[in-house]
Amino acid sequence: MSGQFIAFFILSILTIGGAVFMISFTKVVHQVVALAFTFLSIAGLYVLLEAEFVAVSQVLVYSGAISILMLFGIMLTKHNAQEYERRGKFKFFAFLVVAAFFGLMFNGIQTMNIEGQPANFSAQNNVLEIGKAMFSQYVIPFEIVSVLLLVALVGSIILAKKEAGDE
Amino acid sequence: MMSSAWLIPLFPLLAFLILLAFGRQLKEASAYVGILATLAGFILALGAFFERFAAGAEDYYVAFKWLTLGDKVIDMGFEVTPINAMMLVIVTFVSMLVHIYSKGYMHGDDRFPVFYSYLALFTFSMLGLVISPNLLQVYIFWELVGVCSFLLVGFYFYKDEAKAAAKKAFIVTRVGDVGLFIGISLLFWYSGSFNYVDIFNAIQNGVMQPWQITLVGILIFIGAVGKSGQFPLHTWLPDAMEGPTPVSALIHAATMVAAGVYLVAAMYPLYLASPDASQVIAVIGGITAIFAASIGLTQRDIKRVLAYSTVSQLGYMMLALGTASVAGYVAGTFHLMTHAFFKALLFLAAGSVIHAAHTQDIFEMGGLYKKMKITGTVFLIGCLAISGIFPFAGFWSKEEILGAAYTSGHTGLFWMAVVAAFFTAFYMFRLFFVTFTGEPAQKNHAHESPAVMTFPMLLLAVLAIVAGFINTPGAPILGHWLTEGLRGVPAGEEHSAPFWITIVATGVSLMGIGLAYLMYGKKSVSRDIIAGPLPWLYQLSFRKYYIDEIYDVVFVRTLRAIGYFLNVVDYYIIDGVVRLVGAFTHELGNAEARVQSGQIQTYGLVAFLGIVLLVIGLTFVRGLVG
Amino acid sequence: MSVPLASYLLVALILFCVGLYGALTKRNAVVVLLSIELMLNAVNINFVAFAKFGVLANLTGQIFSLFSITLAAAEAAIGLAILISLYRNRSTVNVDEMDLMKR
Repeated sequence: MSGQFIAFFILSILTIGGAVFMISFTKVVHQVVALAFTFLSIAGLYVLLEAEFVAVSQVLVYSGAISILMLFGIMLTKHNAQEYERRGKFKFFAFLVVAAFFGLMFNGIQTMNIEGQPANFSAQNNVLEIGKAMFSQYVIPFEIVSVLLLVALVGSIILAKKEAGDE
Repeated sequence: MMSSAWLIPLFPLLAFLILLAFGRQLKEASAYVGILATLAGFILALGAFFERFAAGAEDYYVAFKWLTLGDKVIDMGFEVTPINAMMLVIVTFVSMLVHIYSKGYMHGDDRFPVFYSYLALFTFSMLGLVISPNLLQVYIFWELVGVCSFLLVGFYFYKDEAKAAAKKAFIVTRVGDVGLFIGISLLFWYSGSFNYVDIFNAIQNGVMQPWQITLVGILIFIGAVGKSGQFPLHTWLPDAMEGPTPVSALIHAATMVAAGVYLVAAMYPLYLASPDASQVIAVIGGITAIFAASIGLTQRDIKRVLAYSTVSQLGYMMLALGTASVAGYVAGTFHLMTHAFFKALLFLAAGSVIHAAHTQDIFEMGGLYKKMKITGTVFLIGCLAISGIFPFAGFWSKEEILGAAYTSGHTGLFWMAVVAAFFTAFYMFRLFFVTFTGEPAQKNHAHESPAVMTFPMLLLAVLAIVAGFINTPGAPILGHWLTEGLRGVPAGEEHSAPFWITIVATGVSLMGIGLAYLMYGKKSVSRDIIAGPLPWLYQLSFRKYYIDEIYDVVFVRTLRAIGYFLNVVDYYIIDGVVRLVGAFTHELGNAEARVQSGQIQTYGLVAFLGIVLLVIGLTFVRGLVG
Repeated sequence: MSVPLASYLLVALILFCVGLYGALTKRNAVVVLLSIELMLNAVNINFVAFAKFGVLANLTGQIFSLFSITLAAAEAAIGLAILISLYRNRSTVNVDEMDLMKR
């Protein structure tokens, strides 16, 4: 039982726990906080997987930006927003479908057999390598994604802006 | 003039179009449009007639190609033959007089221009019918005159009787029209042409089997039965008297009902080739003549008496044509001409009486002669003419019919015709005596009709007197001319009818007149002399042999029952299937609309379920294959 | 000896299933958006895990996860913008009531 296992165990518990709490809480604000825990734990999992840059991005974007964004969303819509109960039959049916999917995928994971050496990223400077790949091999997707972000920025402003006719 | 004969029907058509467009503005001036158009037509028709009448003249025939069906060509055109030249003159002349007469009779009617436009349309159709050189064209105009008859009978459409009569006229004649249509179609099939000339050539050259000729002849005769009100289909004609009286004179006495006779006459070579078909015609004609005359004895409505007399006289014509002899042909067409004059005269006079007395029941009139001298006189002339008293027109033509019937060996039919002649004379003079003599049955303010109405009557009266002299036994001018024009048939040897027929015919007519005088003029013989001891006989005649009631039970009720049954079938089975399909689709739509709930999460779930199933399926397939 | 690939995949699978269940059953639109983020995160874990343990392990997986994070951010922003605009017009964030397309 190495330290890596212990860390993975704790992090995955936190991740799944946060997710389950997010589903089961009734107050929306609580749900967002639970989700923030999940996001942070996932960042920890990334570190275990030797993806430091992704981990940092995860913390910045998800735990920082998106959680805060969601909180703003909640505050702009309904302050005391609560989860409403859905009709049980539908919930049960959805649960069945999801469970079936889970079983299917679980079976796939169990029977999966991947050969090959695990990469060893720790010897290199992870950020340096990502930067090189990003600006050489993936420069076109990178540029396109930046345009996409710009479009999303402008689009969300236009959508959320009060219309000219409104009071 | 013959080359411009095609203009004759166009004048009334032009008048019709003008009245259609400007009738509202013209108001009662519409009459002049119609009168001028028919006058122009009459002048042209006279021109064509005399040109054809001139010695050595040939038939005139013009046609252009209308349709080409494979190797068959259907023509459109016109022709001038003796019989249709004669018809052109009759139709234009009577139509013109009726146009003039109607100006007085219809005065003050709200739909005066409409009336004139219908009259013009009818005149156009009738002339088109007469001038057509082929049966297809004849059929088109045949239906057109039927439509005009329908419109004019139903002219007072706000009266229920008129509406019913119009419908009846249309439907009953349609029965005949179907026969005619089948006959024409078969004829085209057998002989390959609609043209009279080609058909007659085909018959002469033996292209058609005898049974085919008989079949076609009878089918075409069925059309004539419908149009001319012969025995089984006569019921519409008396009812058609609900129309305005000038219309009765023009359509239901002089011209349209004669179309059936004309058609048979025009197809005469075909009937000469088929003794059986001719026999049918003769028998039906004879039955109609005596049958209608016996109904006419008891009717109370002045126009209905005249209507039954028309049916009866048309029966005479058919009887003559059915003798399948040249003499019969001449007699039938000759009687067609004279009848057109004196029957139009009688109707116009009756119209004049109705106009003055405001009733149609003869027993509510009486003593009108003193107040309406002109009308009374011309009515008397008409009665004498139709009864066949020397020297009036009816004498010559009726005698020829009797002669033709006798010489061709139809002795039974001959005696039926003689009895019918007795009936005719009796009921016509019954009409005259009851209406014009005796004490006024009511204190009516009857007065003589205006000159615009009496003038046409006087013209017709003159013709009713002299028209017979065109074909006297000593100088059969018309007969020779018509026979020469009879296509494809060698002139048969003429039997001259024995002289005693003339005496018998005149005798029975005089007896009829005398009896009528005794019963209704002098009143020395009781009216109930027959009706008293034999009331059922009187009732039988008065109720028109219950033909209408029989038709009602046999056809109308049966058809109604069938119709009701079919309606049920239609409603519950055919409609049911349709509605079932509709309801099923509707319910399916409803069910599917419930699926389309607009709930995005439901959609997502279903889509995801699909993915899961797909993956499961793929895994299974892989498991099975691999 | 390190943590096997299957463990990471299992964690990601559980996250994905939880997110999917939430996205399908929750009625508050904000929570639905959160659930979707959860599912995207599960995908990211898979990317990164395969980057280390895949058949041809290399950096591409991590770079893909970066793109994915970017897209998730954009999606969250647009989603919230739509939500706010909808809320302004219909004053609800209940997904059940967002069935305008049906009418």
